[in-house]
Amino acid sequence: MLKLGESFLLSIEDEIKINQIFAELKEKYKDYKDPWGFNLELCEKTLKKIVPFYRSYFKVRVFGAENVKDQSYIVTSNHTGQLPLDAILITIAFLLDVAPPRVLRAMVERFMAQLPFIGDFAAQTGSILGDRANCAYLIEHGESILVFPEGVRGISKNTPDYYKLRSFSEGFYRIALQKKTPILPVCVIGAEEMFPFVFHSKRLARLLKVPALPLTANLFPLPSPIDIYIGKEIPIPAHLEHEASDKEIKENVFHIENTIKRMLIHGLKHRRPFFDTVRKPISKFVIKEFRNKGDR
Amino acid sequence: MSQKKKILLIGIAGGLAQMTARLILTEHPDWEIIGIDSRDVSNVPVLNNLTPINLKYSRGNFENLFRTHHFDVVYHLGRISHSSNEHNVLAKRIDLSVMGTNRILELCERSGVKKVVILSTFHVYGALPDNSIFLKEDAPLRASIRHPELRDVIEMDQICTNWMWKNQNSISTVVLRPCNIIGTQIQNAMTKFLSGPVALSPIDYNPFFQFIHEFDMAHILYRALESLPTGTYNVAGSDFISLRDALNEVGTKGIPFPMVLAGGLNSALKKLNIEVPEYLLDYLKFSCLISNKELEKHLGPKFLRFSIKEALELIKLR
Repeated sequence: MLKLGESFLLSIEDEIKINQIFAELKEKYKDYKDPWGFNLELCEKTLKKIVPFYRSYFKVRVFGAENVKDQSYIVTSNHTGQLPLDAILITIAFLLDVAPPRVLRAMVERFMAQLPFIGDFAAQTGSILGDRANCAYLIEHGESILVFPEGVRGISKNTPDYYKLRSFSEGFYRIALQKKTPILPVCVIGAEEMFPFVFHSKRLARLLKVPALPLTANLFPLPSPIDIYIGKEIPIPAHLEHEASDKEIKENVFHIENTIKRMLIHGLKHRRPFFDTVRKPISKFVIKEFRNKGDR
Repeated sequence: MSQKKKILLIGIAGGLAQMTARLILTEHPDWEIIGIDSRDVSNVPVLNNLTPINLKYSRGNFENLFRTHHFDVVYHLGRISHSSNEHNVLAKRIDLSVMGTNRILELCERSGVKKVVILSTFHVYGALPDNSIFLKEDAPLRASIRHPELRDVIEMDQICTNWMWKNQNSISTVVLRPCNIIGTQIQNAMTKFLSGPVALSPIDYNPFFQFIHEFDMAHILYRALESLPTGTYNVAGSDFISLRDALNEVGTKGIPFPMVLAGGLNSALKKLNIEVPEYLLDYLKFSCLISNKELEKHLGPKFLRFSIKEALELIKLR
């Protein structure tokens, strides 16, 4: 029991690493004032509390950290799990496992931005309302942003739909074109199984005026091992304007979607055996489906 | 040297209008200002070439005024503020702010006025949770989505901008949408909120604000005469500050309060005839930051004398 408890304390190595990272970030951001209230001190404190869970509970592995250069990106990921924990884990990965550490500004739903306490905390820890003007502002200031083009549909899946990508919206790609910012594809494996049995009542969600209302057997996420894959950057075609037709935009967005799909298949094949009873049927089902359909 | 001008300044009983008048007459002592207000004008400072007139805002009075004087410039700073949401007051506000403004603009057109400067407000955008960062002048005016009682503010702004483009070839019109104006001579809700001994300090929200000192605002009103071409302009500096930091800066004791309960508290206070307009409560929850790029194009990058911190420091003198 003692050992289990100790594993959820911040290790000395991690504490030293976080101190170094934030010393570097404080230097980097010393002249930047954020209009959403991004607060490095609060981020540092919060990170020190979460990292033991990142290490020992979700046992996060990061692949492809070497693909991240010191520049602005629109980091594009699949959205899994019933709570946006994948966003938190990706953000931590870009702080701890990427050199130099990068702050990712995650886009949040309009619904979240208006919640008392949560909206303010999310803003202080770097999240911003998913809005094109906001993204453009951050990219102009050299920031990288994290988008989930599946939107809330990505995290409001019933169990049989786990790891099925919802079609990507195109707004993020128009911003990428406008600001000539490359896309960095990211794939998260393992977050779906944090809540293995889920039912979504769309009717109830509508009634309560919330974007999604997952009904799960467990309120606390289960310790599903998480793998984060960072792909190679997808450059923005020089000839394409951000006011290009939907057809031209969609072709490029499909390419990004397929890249993440391929990363998903690879990740599901190589994941760690932890939740075998849940993992195997889902993995088999998803891989079979991808093979049958083939890439679009 | 500029040609001698005769100016009509509507709302002369307000601190901002008086500062603007003083600035204009300091720079151009030979110009003449007729300052009118439906409020008492006995406190208006005595200045050479400034004639304060107490006048009921009616069609007849305005027509008489425009017949008697030949104005070159009209400053419209006479919007009725939102002290209550009661229906009869709202109807009065609409009549004065919207219908009254319409009448004044008609008279400007008929009597050959060359320049019209209108003071609107950034409240037309509304404090909404999904506001983008640094709203530009072409952003939709959404304040009445949550608060229909703000209809008059938006309508007045829209009447002015429509009229402005319609008459752009004959009259140069400037519509200004300033952020929160604060100062010792101005009596608006934000200055009162910040400079009181205590203020509600939300624990569940911490929105960002832009403030402009009244002197800077008066200076921009003055510069609008010659430096700003026809158009709508947001007025704010490039800096911003969170509500908690602003309260700390001013030294006002913040009473920690969950804004989720503010609506209920306000309803209870309403029964005691103490009411904060509900739309102002939204500003304690959600940011509404405006872009100053358009103004910067014409006035240069450093068009304000006081930073936000200095502006907040100065209201301590109140």
